[in-house]
Amino acid sequence: MTHFPPTKLLGFLLVLAAPIELSAQSGPPDLSDPEVAHVAVTANSIDIELARLAQSRAGNRDVKAFANTMITDHSAVNAQAAALAGRLGVTPKDNAVSQSLLAGAATARAPLEKLRGASFDVAYIDREVAYHQAVLEALDGLLIPTTENAELKKLLVDVRPAIAAHLAHAKQLRSSLPAAQ
Amino acid sequence: MIPLGSLWLRLLVLVGLGATALLGSRTLLAGAQPAPRRHVVEIKGMAFDPAVLEVTPGDSVVWINRDIVPHTATAKSQWDTGPIAQGGRGVFVSRRRGEITYVCAFHPTMQGRLITR
Repeated sequence: MTHFPPTKLLGFLLVLAAPIELSAQSGPPDLSDPEVAHVAVTANSIDIELARLAQSRAGNRDVKAFANTMITDHSAVNAQAAALAGRLGVTPKDNAVSQSLLAGAATARAPLEKLRGASFDVAYIDREVAYHQAVLEALDGLLIPTTENAELKKLLVDVRPAIAAHLAHAKQLRSSLPAAQ
Repeated sequence: MIPLGSLWLRLLVLVGLGATALLGSRTLLAGAQPAPRRHVVEIKGMAFDPAVLEVTPGDSVVWINRDIVPHTATAKSQWDTGPIAQGGRGVFVSRRRGEITYVCAFHPTMQGRLITR
């Protein structure tokens, strides 16, 4: 398996505000395919949950439409991942990276829950820009190179353009919103 | 008095000439306006392929979604295929000359151009 460069991993986890502790002895995680599958499903689920919050809190019509797209797209990816896991007889396995993602998501979600309307729109889209950027880096630096199974690797490679398009969409949307207060 | 056999012969010749004229006119019409064509645009890797397509009025364009996520081909206030699921197809028949930029309504950074000449 390919080891994830420590600097890249730290950048990924810092962006996601994940409180994972990497000891000098253990080094960066060396994920198995079931663990990679779990990380991928977790990452999708986190964005779906945040988009559900956005459906009730966002004020801008385009931000709501973006949130709807996040739910549709990330649900479609998770459905593909579940179908693939079933076909391969693989059960996604929980791991430290998934746990750090969840912890980071909870930290990022807390301030958003206090906001509504225009202030929510800006904070949510800022978060989506950072999140999709971090997921892209994780795909390129950790998940795709670490994966051994050809079908799982292909799914991750096929998903990458969607994440890049989400990032570009979020950036485009952000430029149309007022500056953050 | 014209023999009956000769009359039948003349009628047959007239019918034959009429049929030939009719078929000929159809051929001429067909030559003036070619049969509509069907063009395929694949949607893959979050992009329309080809991104620019030239058609003639009456041609149909079929978008085939090869991506995991759903897409549309949407020219704002003009036409819209509606959602195209993974492996699904959307169709539009272009009837008016002109150029138009279309997008995926779900992913507006995806753009294509349809030119009808």
